[in-house]
Amino acid sequence: MEIIEHPPIFRLPGIPDPVAYTWLVMIVLTALAFVASRRVELVPRGVQNVLEVVLLQFQELIDDVIGPEGRPYLPLIATLGLFILSGNLLSLVPGMAGPTANLNTTGACALIVFCTYHYIGIRKHGPITYLKHFMGPVPWWLKGPMFVIEMISHLARPLSLTLRLFGNMLGGHILLAMMFFLMGLDGLIGWALSGSPAGMVLGGLGGVLMIAFTVGFIYPLKILVSFLQAFIFVMLTMLYISGAVEGHEAEHH
Amino acid sequence: MRRSLILAGMAGLGVPGLAVAAEGAATGGGWIGPFAVIAAGLGMAIASGLCGLGQGRAVAAAVEAMGRQPGAAARIQTAMIIGLALIESLAIYMLVIGIILLFVQPIK
Repeated sequence: MEIIEHPPIFRLPGIPDPVAYTWLVMIVLTALAFVASRRVELVPRGVQNVLEVVLLQFQELIDDVIGPEGRPYLPLIATLGLFILSGNLLSLVPGMAGPTANLNTTGACALIVFCTYHYIGIRKHGPITYLKHFMGPVPWWLKGPMFVIEMISHLARPLSLTLRLFGNMLGGHILLAMMFFLMGLDGLIGWALSGSPAGMVLGGLGGVLMIAFTVGFIYPLKILVSFLQAFIFVMLTMLYISGAVEGHEAEHH
Repeated sequence: MRRSLILAGMAGLGVPGLAVAAEGAATGGGWIGPFAVIAAGLGMAIASGLCGLGQGRAVAAAVEAMGRQPGAAARIQTAMIIGLALIESLAIYMLVIGIILLFVQPIK
């Protein structure tokens, strides 16, 4: 756990590691955006081109899920997606920890999403109408229990957003560290170096296999999971916002 | 028959924990620790197994639907990924509980 909690490179004295890495991600993303938008051209080249492609992907996703009403929320959604994606990928650089493997970072992101989609719903429909839409299209005697159930389901949303991202990232890191350090380097290679003849053969072979398996299979799997978790976080954010924007639509038909 | 087998297996898994617990109690150590390890491992095994069953059903249905209607494959895939994330989060809850039991150890 030591190597997960306190990565050897990039430490700021007196500042917790997740905060330091969050700042690193912020600096990188801000620098990218600054470089891309310093000289905006009609025919994009270089960094501007890449970022425009990324943003267009987000915009298409928003048009797909929320519809044309979702365009104003592009900055929020794209920022969340890029921050989480770069945080996830940063944690895969050897010797660095990601901000998203910490409960506080993911909790902050989920709370921002929670507050934002309720604010959007209240601004769109007004507080009374928005509260009424929690009761759903059910007969009057079911409205009370329905309201309680909906409340619990809405309160569970930030919890599940937080824990999903955090658990995926931390679980992946622990798996990677266990496989690579405990089983590979420390266990099997250590057995090979201990001098016994069986250890030389079995430990050496097993250690090489284990390290090849870790680097060749689990590491690419973690890269896939990084993209997938960022996508899922953004997708669920868009679904919640679209639910808040649409509101009563389901009641009428 | 199968249920009694499962119960016997769980009891068999519990015996070493009892032995370690008795040993720990004899030497003055707590008995919560060994049981926390067993609970984390067993819980994660059950959670990931059932999560795999659920995800398998979801993916099977989605692939079948994609085979029937290749035109709607993109939308089905998006819905499938969201559903998989929601199913997976249940196993992730257990993972978080296991990590808390193993590394944070709130109950001593």
